[in-house]
Amino acid sequence: MDDGHRMIRAFVVAVLAAVAVPSGFLLLAGKAPLATWGALLSYTLGTWVGFSDVLIHAIPLTLIGIGVAVAFRAGIFNLGGDGQLICGAVLAVALAPILGGFEWLGLPIFLVAGFVGGGVIGGLVGWLRARFGANEIIVTIMMNYVALQLLTWLIRGPLQDPLRIFPRSYALAIELQLPIVGGGTRLHAGIIAAALAAGLMQIVISRTTFGFRLAVLGESSGAAVYAGINVARVTVGAMVLSGGFAGLAGAVEIAGVHQRLQDNFAGGFGLEAIAVALMARLHPIAVPLTSVLFGVFYVGSGALQRQMSVPFPLVWIIEGVVILAYLGFVAAAARKAARTA
Amino acid sequence: MARAPLLELRGVTKRFPGVVANDNVSLSLAASEVLGVLGENGAGKSTLMNILAGLVIPDAGEIVLDGMPIRLATPRDAVAAGIGMVHQHFKLIDTLTVQENLALGDRRWGRRVVDYRGLSRTIGGLARELGMQFDPTARIDRLSVGQQQQIEILKALSRNPRILILDEPTSVLAPEERGGLFAMIARLRERGTGVILISHRMEDILETCERVIVMRQSRVVGGGAVAGLDRAALVRMVVGESLPRLEHRSAHAGRPVLTVEDLVLLRPNGLPAVAGASFELRAGEVTALCGVEGNGQSELIELIAGMRGPQGGRMVYHLGSGRHVGPMSPEALRALGVAHVPEDRLRYGLIGAFSLADNWLLTNLWNAIFAPGGWLRPEQGRIRCGQAIRAYDIRAGGPAARLRTLSGGNQQKFVLARELADTPQLIIAAHATRGLDVRTIDFVLRELLRARDRGAAVLLLSADLDEAWEVADQVMVMSRGHLRGPVPLAATTRHEVGHWMTGTA
Amino acid sequence: MDAVLIAGLLAAGIRLAMSIGIAALGEAVSQRSGVINVGVEGIMLVGAFLAAFGALITGSPWVGLALACLGGLLLGALHGWFAIVQRADQIVCGIAIVILGLGLSSFLFRISMGTAPSALPAFRALDLGPLSTLPLIGPVLFGQNILAYIAVLLAITLWFVLARTPVGLAIRACGENPQAAEADGIDVNTVRFGCVLFGGAMAGAGGAYLAIAQINSFVENMVVGRGFIAIACVVFGRWHPLGTLAAALGFGITEAAQIRLQTWYPDVPYQFFVMLPYLLAIGALVFMARSAALPQALGRPFVSDRNL
Repeated sequence: MDDGHRMIRAFVVAVLAAVAVPSGFLLLAGKAPLATWGALLSYTLGTWVGFSDVLIHAIPLTLIGIGVAVAFRAGIFNLGGDGQLICGAVLAVALAPILGGFEWLGLPIFLVAGFVGGGVIGGLVGWLRARFGANEIIVTIMMNYVALQLLTWLIRGPLQDPLRIFPRSYALAIELQLPIVGGGTRLHAGIIAAALAAGLMQIVISRTTFGFRLAVLGESSGAAVYAGINVARVTVGAMVLSGGFAGLAGAVEIAGVHQRLQDNFAGGFGLEAIAVALMARLHPIAVPLTSVLFGVFYVGSGALQRQMSVPFPLVWIIEGVVILAYLGFVAAAARKAARTA
Repeated sequence: MARAPLLELRGVTKRFPGVVANDNVSLSLAASEVLGVLGENGAGKSTLMNILAGLVIPDAGEIVLDGMPIRLATPRDAVAAGIGMVHQHFKLIDTLTVQENLALGDRRWGRRVVDYRGLSRTIGGLARELGMQFDPTARIDRLSVGQQQQIEILKALSRNPRILILDEPTSVLAPEERGGLFAMIARLRERGTGVILISHRMEDILETCERVIVMRQSRVVGGGAVAGLDRAALVRMVVGESLPRLEHRSAHAGRPVLTVEDLVLLRPNGLPAVAGASFELRAGEVTALCGVEGNGQSELIELIAGMRGPQGGRMVYHLGSGRHVGPMSPEALRALGVAHVPEDRLRYGLIGAFSLADNWLLTNLWNAIFAPGGWLRPEQGRIRCGQAIRAYDIRAGGPAARLRTLSGGNQQKFVLARELADTPQLIIAAHATRGLDVRTIDFVLRELLRARDRGAAVLLLSADLDEAWEVADQVMVMSRGHLRGPVPLAATTRHEVGHWMTGTA
Repeated sequence: MDAVLIAGLLAAGIRLAMSIGIAALGEAVSQRSGVINVGVEGIMLVGAFLAAFGALITGSPWVGLALACLGGLLLGALHGWFAIVQRADQIVCGIAIVILGLGLSSFLFRISMGTAPSALPAFRALDLGPLSTLPLIGPVLFGQNILAYIAVLLAITLWFVLARTPVGLAIRACGENPQAAEADGIDVNTVRFGCVLFGGAMAGAGGAYLAIAQINSFVENMVVGRGFIAIACVVFGRWHPLGTLAAALGFGITEAAQIRLQTWYPDVPYQFFVMLPYLLAIGALVFMARSAALPQALGRPFVSDRNL
């Protein structure tokens, strides 16, 4: 069974598991599973509003997921997507007031600022790992909490809306907002950025020496040293990209959806992105697809809460089960391959 | 002398996916007998011994102990049956102490709390009896390789086995230390223990064993009492044919290719791994670097190959255009014409999960043919790889095949093909023939000699003095970080070099 | 800085440390055997919920604790099955459990209790009579709740077990060189599975402590990173039970300090103080990461040499 077939089968098996286990919990909550899934699918895939919401959720997820995939190729776990997203958004919003004079350049600079904000954090984490061997799993997660506190302070302090009533930042100027592309919905031009990023990184991964070095580092640190690959440089480079895409996601979310910083403006993309990257088998070009899948779960669960009072946390039960089911299948397939090698 | 066999294997067969490791193997061992199992790497010896150690269950055949068939399903069964095994790759835990390693898995020393004092007393006594040093609280990674082997042997003996199996025990010992090992085996024989000695070295078998069986390609192809066997006949049984001798024309040493002055590398604990090495490698010459494992040779190789930076001294490469002072990165060195065949190909030189074509790219990222300006040209990798597969007769499914599907010998051929592809001027070959079958060893050595005749300087790190004498023009020895030589081969003897290796000269 | 202040800080520090410490002890054992479980955060959440739920229905905090341990055990078994038996990537497994734990705890909370319980039967501070009223050291050493004392005893016991018993030796062998352990007749996967189960139960207990000994309530997502800090404690404590607990104490004191610092320095935005424990964790990892005490086989699935 070659890699392509394996990808599809893993997809299907995971989806089936994602249905069975949560259904059990639905029964526990006194909801009929069939009706619930029906409602979820009909909203997310059956209505334009629902599907556009799925895409809106998939945009930052794709960007962060691409970042996770790039780092993971080198064997680095970047769980700091949420924190890097915040840092990117913060830097972009902080610069927003001075971008007025740049006219049409303002929005691109805004987005680049987002990339820089996240990239700096990512680079720092990469450096700590390369220089001190600090476990990036814990460091990135700790930074998530630090970034969250930073955000909480900024929107009540230096970046707060001049009216000083609500804990939120000032609003973005209209030129810095991403235009709507889906008529009648909130779907914004960030979708173009996500698609471009996926295509671009796929090329980088598969056709550049940098992408090759990433793969070498991820497979064998011994081979990396033997071949003369500068482990520290590749580590930091991978993490700058990884953090950068998460930061870009932050800027995109502000420019496309919220138009200002506020509490919890981006909830829980970071861990979702791990699953998204993993199920895309670390191919950036496949990340948009898996992001849409998780978007269906997320948006669907929100709809279920509104329409049928199904508790929203169902989404995390689904996602956790999906990851485990996927892992289980991949492990079984790997064992079968080893037996017949 | 017909003695009742203590242990018998009858028709033992074991298959792994795609390969038969043992095919209808039979042997018998009596008490107080030393049986040799001779064969080259890949003949099936280790699998056979793993069956006796309870790590592998045969597909067919019987194991008979004292005339009764037994089943060895786990290592515990083997221990209970009185079979002790000293593995080639020590099963010791580096970060634990000697007494902790000895106590592991052994219920004799207490079920609730471990009685380390009792253990030290008992095993210390056994050690003294066998003439070994014993420090129970020393950490394994602080001991020399020879001392670690002694602990492995003590561990096996502490369970009072009636049968002791030694798997390639001399591969880590200096020529001098072998004598001590053989004396210990003789003592064991006197005590009534049956000993099985596995080796690919005929000298070991001829010196210690009374009987030998010869394995080749998973089968027993011959054997008998050692006294009545002719060395040439043994060779024929082991290899299956006679190989032509390597032709070794005398060297015409040319200009210097690498000059090393006072090179120093320290270990993490501050002690020197390389304590001021100075030597010169010249074009058209093979220099053998010999030494007992762990004396700094591997580190010296890593320094020259650019994988590590020295803490003192310097290296000057006289390549291509001019003088280049190191340390330089491996990529820069390759661009200048330095090749490196690493001592552990799966850990450093190759990536098992990658395809052959991608493994070819691994050391060619500097090369504009394969990676112009940061962009990859995978097609070039495939083409060159395909050429190499044909030229070197590498058994593989093609450039797209995953490297780990190749046998060890074919993997090493691939490494050699890749490293020699751009006619390098300096070739660093570390343990290039380790673990290979005789035919591939012959191939590797011939290729290195051919490169030498083309004018390359070859540095050959080898644990085998016989190999060094076969191909080298000059030899240097590392002992405890200090370099001795290089000395032309004609000006010294194997005996003398052996003394240098143990630092007793 | 007078002595009363320090005593108060220490007493609060110990109290705040235990949820992390208990979970960290379990994780230390698991990691010593070679399996890393980053899902501690998720298991603590489930443990917190189950403890609150159990205590609320039965009126006994001990039942709540038992339920939390059971839940932790089950989630540990889940991690063990995927990481050990299926040999899947241990980190990704753990992340899945974090997500799952968040989902389970919040979902079950919403369908059972719905709102934060106001009067939760909890483990109160012990009143050891005259000992507790000693000046300064009284509240620090003798005024904690019973789980804290159990945790200390547990740490000492674990240290003894790991250092001097055959079981402990087997565990350490599995974490350093499982191939060698197997050659000595040890069933590596069983030993590891047992340690993971223990780790899960302890993570559940740590969550229980949070709900019914420290905060005395349940709020969704109440663990806020303590599970990950517990993992940092294992590294900081060099995989030694007593060191791990001491590291947790360090975090507890930091958290106690940051609460006090907020009131002492009201001009400084409080968020900067809240950051302190997390920054401390990063610092700990930076300075302690290259530790020689790291179990050599940590994180790598064990593939048996035995071929049946």
